[in-house]
Amino acid sequence: MAAFSPMLRQLGCVRSSLRTRELVQPQIARRALSTVYSARPQPTPLPEKLPEAFLSQLPQRLRPDQEPKKLKIYPPPPSTRAVCRDPIATLTTSQLSVLDPTSERKKLFDYRRNPRSVKVGDILRVTFKNGDPFSGVCLSIRLRGIDTSFLLRNELTRTAVEMSVKLFSPNVKSVEIVERTATRKRRARLYYMRQRKHDVRSVEGTVWHYLRQKTSVTGQVSGGRKKKN
Amino acid sequence: MIQLKTMLNCIDNSGAALVECVNVLKKKRPATIGDRIVVVVQKQRSFGPSDSSGSGIANKVRRGDIRHAVVVRVKKEMQRADGSLVKFEDNACVLVHKSGDPIGTRLNGVVGAELRGKRWSKILSLAPMHV
Repeated sequence: MAAFSPMLRQLGCVRSSLRTRELVQPQIARRALSTVYSARPQPTPLPEKLPEAFLSQLPQRLRPDQEPKKLKIYPPPPSTRAVCRDPIATLTTSQLSVLDPTSERKKLFDYRRNPRSVKVGDILRVTFKNGDPFSGVCLSIRLRGIDTSFLLRNELTRTAVEMSVKLFSPNVKSVEIVERTATRKRRARLYYMRQRKHDVRSVEGTVWHYLRQKTSVTGQVSGGRKKKN
Repeated sequence: MIQLKTMLNCIDNSGAALVECVNVLKKKRPATIGDRIVVVVQKQRSFGPSDSSGSGIANKVRRGDIRHAVVVRVKKEMQRADGSLVKFEDNACVLVHKSGDPIGTRLNGVVGAELRGKRWSKILSLAPMHV
């Protein structure tokens, strides 16, 4: 058994060396193929004035009557910006001219410009076209153009009531200053007056005195039900 | 914003002083002025020294009673049709029977005018004033 073993090994070597040659051969051949340069074939141009009979042999895309469709380009819609630069400001002025033609109310509450205007801390009385008048201390004035509103606070039957009224609401008949604040308030919004310590409680007495004085001067009873508490 | 567990003042003379909301009726959202709720009476009002013996004024409800009520004041501001907002200092209600008639005969305190739109005219007529 030991005598055969080298023979076997040799045979095995021959076979393996043969196998490698087989492998190498095609690789060389392939490399040769890739190195051969040939120019890219140019497309043959279509002959000029091709007779119509031959058109059917051409592929679809090359036929002269099968040109790509022209896309229709629509003009952009007219710009609303060009029509009205600032629509909100335009709306505000147009609405104010309807709701407040004399701009009397606007001046009455424009505390930034008008020194005689309503200030926070004043006692105001608002009468409505429907419903009872409401009076109270003005806690804040919110200047927002047509949305301008003010916040009134009062105490009715020992319950604090707050009402925010839109100044230019067509429902508001009149706004009167019952009493101006004694000292200028240092804040724009007097929300601290909701605290028990700073609360002025009911202003109905002040309003009642004001209404009595008013009737004695003008000699007519102002509209709305008088409230006493 | 009246919902489960909200404590409300009761402002009628039915005998309840403080009630707790246990349900909001016909609504999936918190109740507001004019909405009907179910309440539990938590505190009774004591009428003078003789509260147990019937001396004229008897409490129509007792502590622990489950009753229907109508919300008449809320802390959460309510917006009106003309954009104005109204808000009150406290949450308050009036006890009513299941038929909708108020249990008490007198109200002490202001109520919201929103009741008018919701057909609670009986409560409005009892109230001293409405805003």
